[in-house]
Amino acid sequence: MDFKDYYSALGVARDASDDDIRKAYRKLARKYHPDVSKEADADAKMRDINEARDVLQDKEKRAAYDQLADHVARGGSPDGGFRQPPPGWDEGFEFHRGPGQGPADHADFSEFFSSIFGSRGGMGGGGQRGPYRERGEDHHAAIEISLEDALHGAERQLSLRAQEIDANGRPHLVNRTLDVRIPAGVRPGQYIRLAGQGLPGHGGEPAGDLYLEVRIAPHKLYRIEGHDLYMTLPVTPTEAALGAQVTVPTPAGGHVDVTIPKGARNGMKLRIKERGLPGKTPGHLYLLLEIALPPADSDAARAAYEQLAKAAPFNPRQHLGA
Amino acid sequence: MRATTTTVLESSPLTVRELARAVGAEDQWVLRLVEVEILHVDTPSEPPERWHFRSADLQRALAARRLERDFGANLDTAALILDLQSELRRLRALMGAHGLA
Repeated sequence: MDFKDYYSALGVARDASDDDIRKAYRKLARKYHPDVSKEADADAKMRDINEARDVLQDKEKRAAYDQLADHVARGGSPDGGFRQPPPGWDEGFEFHRGPGQGPADHADFSEFFSSIFGSRGGMGGGGQRGPYRERGEDHHAAIEISLEDALHGAERQLSLRAQEIDANGRPHLVNRTLDVRIPAGVRPGQYIRLAGQGLPGHGGEPAGDLYLEVRIAPHKLYRIEGHDLYMTLPVTPTEAALGAQVTVPTPAGGHVDVTIPKGARNGMKLRIKERGLPGKTPGHLYLLLEIALPPADSDAARAAYEQLAKAAPFNPRQHLGA
Repeated sequence: MRATTTTVLESSPLTVRELARAVGAEDQWVLRLVEVEILHVDTPSEPPERWHFRSADLQRALAARRLERDFGANLDTAALILDLQSELRRLRALMGAHGLA
């Protein structure tokens, strides 16, 4: 595990003010926002700057991080790498999430961050604040499944690093594996809720819930748009010109016969009703026609092309005035 | 470990309290999202205890929370950004559907 330089991540000096940090963060967050960024590693950059901001904008965490950074700078790490914070490094600090700090994201923080601050900076005071009762926080993570799993349902194992409270009331990280049942018909952007799988509660209160955002991996044949699925359907010039019946596979398995209309054009869209993602309002399957030319790789094929040119003279560049 | 699952959308929508917890906010904050039309409820004339929210609502509430936290956006500004973001995604999907993506 590498030691993370949060100041470099935001491009600010060690003595940067809160305002400098806020400005640097906002500038970078705009640059790497997934909706506007053209950078290939925008998601990873966004995670890094979120993590750096989370630490440096919190006085308690920043002071603890600075102390740890000094320790590492003094040679506290044998090989330049970073394994674990030294014992007692956090004495005198107490981390807690205040109200209004937003959602707790499992996936958004690095192993380095988690090794210091817990999965979301929730190191409690070990009972110093007196007994209190509080339901555990809800957590968020994402799960990527195949289109087939989304259509038919599946059971998947999900590995998470999660926080647990030990006998002394202090949190520590554990790796845990959850068996997640994916209901059939789930769609991208939907959330699966796992009751009681969020952060543990305090004072006998129940644990929070875990929300898994469903993402569907790219498929070799189908592209998902909302509830609908799109597939490119290659057809021959003959099928496009004269019309034809062709057999196409459907996402749920099996096949369906489709009529290609006479005079079909490249890019024409055919709809197969309610063969998209299932649900209360099922999506449709759209076929985008792509005219594929037979190769002119034999004397017979070349003769046939020449015969066609003679029989049906055609200038596709007429609109260009050529 | 065996986990119980429910799909939020349709089968088990969230209450105001559950949505607020899921985004680390107070109930009142969720009511503000409805007021500024970041969230739409099917039955606005019913008391908030009877409102229900689904996956798309959770996604918008999370996005609004992050805009507020990351950029100091107020909720009216966040509402405008989220609408523009939806429009951008709709147009990109349209381009994709016409093979232009």
